[in-house]
Parts: sequence; structure tokens; C-alpha cells
Amino acid sequence: MKAREKLDQLKAKLGPAIRRADIPSDHCLFVFVEASALKAVCEYVFRDLDARFITSIGADDRSFSGSFLVAHNFAFDRDHLLCSILTEIPASQPCVESISTVVPAANWAERELRDLVGIELSGHPYPKRLVLPDGWPDGVHPLRKDIPWNFVPDDYDDEREFKFDEPPEGCTVVPFGPFHPTLDEPAHFRLYVEGERVRGCEYRGFMVHRGIEKLAESVLGYNDIPIMAERICGICGCVHNVTYAQAVEAAAALQAPPRAEYLRSILLELERLHSHLLWVGLACHIVGFDTLFMQAFRIREPVMWIAEKITGNRKTYGLCVIGGVRRDLTPALEDELRQVLARLETEWQAVTAAVLQDRNIQKRTRGVGVADRNLVKEAGLIGPVARAAGVGIDCRRDHPYAAYDRVDFDVITAPDGDVWSRLVVRAREVFESIKIIRQCLDKMESGPIQLEIKDELPVGRLGISSVEAPRGECHHFVITGENNRPRRWRVRAPTYQNLQGVPAMIKDQQLADMTISLGSIDPCFSCTDRLETIDLRSGAVKVWSPEELLKLARARGIAAESSAKESDES
Amino acid sequence: MSLTSKFKEAMVGLKAGRVTLDYPAHPRPVPENFRGRPIFDAQKCIGCAACANNCPAREILVLDVCQEVRILKYLGRRCTYCGRCSDVCPEKAITMSHEFETATNKISDVHQRLDLFMSTCQRCGRCFKETSPLEQLKLKGYRFDDLENERWIFRSRSFLESEPLVDDIKIELD
Ligand code: SF4
Ligand code: SF4
Repeated sequence: MKAREKLDQLKAKLGPAIRRADIPSDHCLFVFVEASALKAVCEYVFRDLDARFITSIGADDRSFSGSFLVAHNFAFDRDHLLCSILTEIPASQPCVESISTVVPAANWAERELRDLVGIELSGHPYPKRLVLPDGWPDGVHPLRKDIPWNFVPDDYDDEREFKFDEPPEGCTVVPFGPFHPTLDEPAHFRLYVEGERVRGCEYRGFMVHRGIEKLAESVLGYNDIPIMAERICGICGCVHNVTYAQAVEAAAALQAPPRAEYLRSILLELERLHSHLLWVGLACHIVGFDTLFMQAFRIREPVMWIAEKITGNRKTYGLCVIGGVRRDLTPALEDELRQVLARLETEWQAVTAAVLQDRNIQKRTRGVGVADRNLVKEAGLIGPVARAAGVGIDCRRDHPYAAYDRVDFDVITAPDGDVWSRLVVRAREVFESIKIIRQCLDKMESGPIQLEIKDELPVGRLGISSVEAPRGECHHFVITGENNRPRRWRVRAPTYQNLQGVPAMIKDQQLADMTISLGSIDPCFSCTDRLETIDLRSGAVKVWSPEELLKLARARGIAAESSAKESDES
Repeated sequence: MSLTSKFKEAMVGLKAGRVTLDYPAHPRPVPENFRGRPIFDAQKCIGCAACANNCPAREILVLDVCQEVRILKYLGRRCTYCGRCSDVCPEKAITMSHEFETATNKISDVHQRLDLFMSTCQRCGRCFKETSPLEQLKLKGYRFDDLENERWIFRSRSFLESEPLVDDIKIELD
């Protein structure tokens, strides 16, 4: 009855602003509010009712309701309730008041919906372009329904430069990224450094934005998307696959059979095991402790192999379709899984016994990259980063899905909020995952693994789902649509929120701690905007300027393209 | 104490011994369930195009040359070995093989082409009974994918024209 309770609270406080509400289940609440009151409602929910901000969603709903939709999603973790505050915005004037001044965590999500859906934000504190590439023309918003999926703008301006902010006085700029040897995805941090201390930074990312939401909304079908969704992340792909399936199931009021739910939990935990082992390894690698890096990867490998045996692939499990899972677990595989877990448990005990006492690692990670409770709330940090700051949030317990309501486990927390705490939390969570998988194996009943779906899915329904990924909460929002595909699908991966906490975490730290601080949330970065080439014959060194380099790269790119075309034709 | 933990850490490593596999000289066999490159069986295939419609990567093209002949072409460029095609195939004509080392510098090495003889039914004869409405055909009837440029054409027709749809294809490709 929590959903109703919250709605009553909202009504009591902001009655006239609330247009209508929908309570599809006890754990889910959709409230439609007046656009003019959106900020006030969000402030009340975020500050007074102490909800956690999840994400903001923009949708082009013009061809159906004649308006745009903006939703701000919040979670009441203690009340096991997910809540979406929605508002309709007239197509003639797509503009809404920004909530980022009262909910700082919404900063990126709001800019994203401005870039992609074209809803202006009045009063946004930092309205810089976020997602679209620098040369993309203004006023063209790819997620609008009148833009085709394969749209290429004529007036794409290759020459347009990104305008960096001015660094504060007395600071030197040190570029960190887009490529950095220790991490594996591009993200650019422009660090403002005073001596050895980082005083601030500007983030520039979204270099690998692939437009997967657009593809899903215009080309793929309901059951194609799970396979694509698991390619959003190279490590926690199964999470996206499950979250998407659950969001659609929630929207269409479908219920996966119990055995399928257990299988989902088992594979999600297997994924957490391999992800945490990988992270502990990488964290050790970043601080220069390669022995443990090697050992963590060795211990992780049997987890990959058993996943391969169960699902047919070591990483992209292809687990879910809407209404169930694709492959069952045989008794022989169950036994083997138990053996793998038993070995993993003993080996991980040996490793944690050693590492958690290791003073060298502690010296390198204690007091580094600190995110305190306040930052967790303001930036909306989640997962091990929040739990390491003493904030015990975990979707598996707070918003149970799949079979998590039928198993016992502890939510591991640590008090200090530094990199060390994150290491401790992740290392201990491995044991909880083992515990969960064992319980699932014990309790799992036989039965079907796929729900029989007889009718097409209803149109225009909303569905939300949160899944605890290894890095924190993964959240999907779906509006079901025509032509056997969703009308809108929004994905919020955990790093989206955690990355926004990084500038505060690295402030006033040693420059050398940057890598492990950033690494500790588990994302990615270095590129010096220049490149040296050495002419081997003359030994002459030429230093390329960014402009020259850009030109060269573009000329090469074009040459490569045309030669590819030629060879195609021949 | 740091020294004891260093000792313990060394033990973890020593106990494990050597684990690196002698790859590629002795590759580890893949499990029975493994999803490798899909292999199409022209003997079993009835040309229903369920696989093409449900391939998330759009890697299977369908071209109706005439009423009787339909060409099915598997491209294999960005196939993710997800196995959806083999899941939906009503005739079990697609096997997920154990091949995964398929890197090549000649992409046609991984192509598979099926020239299928289609029996005529009263209507177009090009349909399949989906397992659930979620697997329904997106494109019903005759299809005209562009085999040469290896592109899906997002359009199908309920009749075959005597003239090939060259111009249509051009429009789609622009
Ligand atoms: S395995 Fe997947 S990607 Fe490859 S052809 Fe089949 S459905 Fe398409
Ligand atoms: S689904 Fe099977 S029978 Fe139908 S076209 Fe594909 S391979 Fe042939």
C-alpha cells in the first residue's frame, strides 16, 4: 500500500498539480503532473520524501497524444517503490523547467533529453551539449519520430570545435583521455591541476554513443532487442537483457514462469561474480599489483566456462526473451555449477584473507576518491560506490525482481566511502552471490521456462524495471508501441550516475590517484591532443597539431572508405 | 601484517601452478551447447523467412527472383551467433555449429547462399506460423533485399512485378 500512501502524500501537498495517477502494482507508481508544477513536485519528492533520483526520460509522443513526454524517475528504496513523475508538454512549445538546480543528479539526464528529443530546459545550470557529436547541427534531434533511423544530416559540420570551459585561475590543464592505457573505453576528463592537486575537471564523453534506443524504436522488434541490449555493455550485458525483458513484461502485465525467474537470478549472479572478480583484478592492476590481477583472472575463468556451458557463450548469454528465458539448466550442469562455486569460494577465501590485510594496497587506496553520503544523495550514486559510503541500497533487496524475493543474502556495506571500501564491498559481495546461486539451485522448481504469449502486446503502456548490476542499479523505461516494437525505450546504465560523482571524488586529490579513483567506479579514458611521428630515415621529429591531425585522420578516413567501395565494386 | 599477507598472496599464485592453455596448438574443446556460426541446411529449409525476420543483426537477406525461386543469403559479417534464427526456424534447418574462429580477410568465405524452390500456394505462399505474435513476420509476401550491396530493403509486396524493382531499391539506398 506504499504506492497509494505516497500518492496521498503527494496529493495532500500538491493536490491541484496532479492530473492523474496509475498504480499498476504495489511497487510502482506513475503520476502525471502539470508541467508548471514539475519542478516543485520533484523537489518535494527528492528532498522532503527523500527519494533517490534514478533518471529522466524524454519521449516524442506527438503522433499519439499530440505532445512530448518528460518523466523523472525516483526510487523509494525503503518502501520498495519505483515512482515516475510524468508530464505532457505541448508540441508547439517543447520547453520545460529544469529540475537540476534542486535535483543535481538530473544534470546529465536532462541534457540528454534536450539533445536527443529536443525539449528545451529553462533554468538548467549547465546547458552544454552532452550526447550529440560536436559537428551535429543544432535543432536536429535524432530521437524525434520524424527523423529516420538512418538519418545523416547534410549540414554536419566537421570543422566545428568543441568549446572547453576556461580553467580556474592558476591551474594547468592536464587532459585525461579519451584513451588511457589503464581503462578500456573512451572518455575525456580535462583536469585542472594545481601542482600535483586536481582542483576540478570537465568531462566530455558519449564518444561511443551508438543510437541503440533509436534502432530499437524504429527497426528492431520486441524480441530482437534483448539480444541487442546485452551488447550495451561488454561486461554486464545480461543485466540489460533482463532489465529490458522485465520492463516490457511490467508494461504488458506478463509474468515469467518461476523457473525462468530462478534462471535469471542465477545468471545475473554468475555475471556479478565474473564482473567483481574482473574488477578486483583490474583495480590491483591499476595500483601496480599485477600478481593479484593474474590470480583474479585465473579464478574468474571457470565462471566464464560454466556460463558458456549453460548459455552457449561465455559472455553474451542471450538469456532472455520477453516472458522467459531461452535455455534451461540440466541436472548435470547444476552439479557442475555447484562444483565451480565450491572451488571459487575456497580460492576467493584465500585471496581475501591475504588482500584484506595487505597494507600496501590499503596505503594506496584508503582515503582516495572519497564519495560521502551527501554526494551519494546529490549525484544519485548507486551500487558498490553507494554501499561503500554506508548507504545500503541494493535493488535485489529493495526492488526485488526475478527470484530475489525467495533467497536470503546480506547487503554488504562499508563506512568510509573510499576506494578501499569499494574493494572490500566488492570482494565480500562475491560470497553473497555464491550464497544466492546455491539457494536458487536448491529452491528452483521444474516447470516451463517460457510464458506462452498469445496476443500482441498492448500499446501505449508504461513499464519500468530496475536491476542491480555489478556496478549499481540498471534502469530501463519502456513505452509499448505499434508494429511489434516499443515506442520508447530508455536505458540508464549504472555508470551514467556514478560518473557524475567523479569530479567531486577526485577534487583536491593527487593527480596520481585519478586512475584508481575513476577505476573504482568501474568505467574508463588519455589522449594528448597531439601525436609525434618519427621519420625513420631522417630521424626528424614532427609534432602534429590537433588541426593537422584531424585533417590527416579525415583524409585517411575518406581514402579508406572510397578504396573499400572500389574493391566492393570490382 | 603486510609481510604475512604478501606470503599468503604468493601461496595463492604458487598453488595454482601453470594454467595457461596451449592455444592455438591445443584449443580447448567448446561445450556441446555452444553457439557458434549458424549453418543453414538447404535440404530442410522451406524459405519461410522467419530467420530473416527475427535476426536482430539483419544478417539474412531474402530475394524473390520469381514465384518459384527465392534466394536466402546469410552474410555473416556482424552475426552475433545469438541463435535466434535457429530458435525460430520451424524446420530446424539452422544448426548453431561449434565454429567460432571465423576471422577472414575475404568476407565471402563466411557467406551462405540457399537457392530455394518455392511451392505455390493459393496466396503468396510466403508466410510462416509464428511461435508467438512477437515473432511475427515484419515483412510479409515477396521480398526484394539487395543482395549485391548486402542491404535489407524494408519493403515487401503482395505481388511480383515483371520488372525488377531496381528503382525502388535505389530509393531505399539513398
Ligand atoms: S545467429 Fe543471430 S545474428 Fe546470426 S544470423 Fe542467426 S539470428 Fe542473425
Ligand atoms: S526459418 Fe528455417 S525454414 Fe524458414 S527460411 Fe529460415 S532457415 Fe529456412
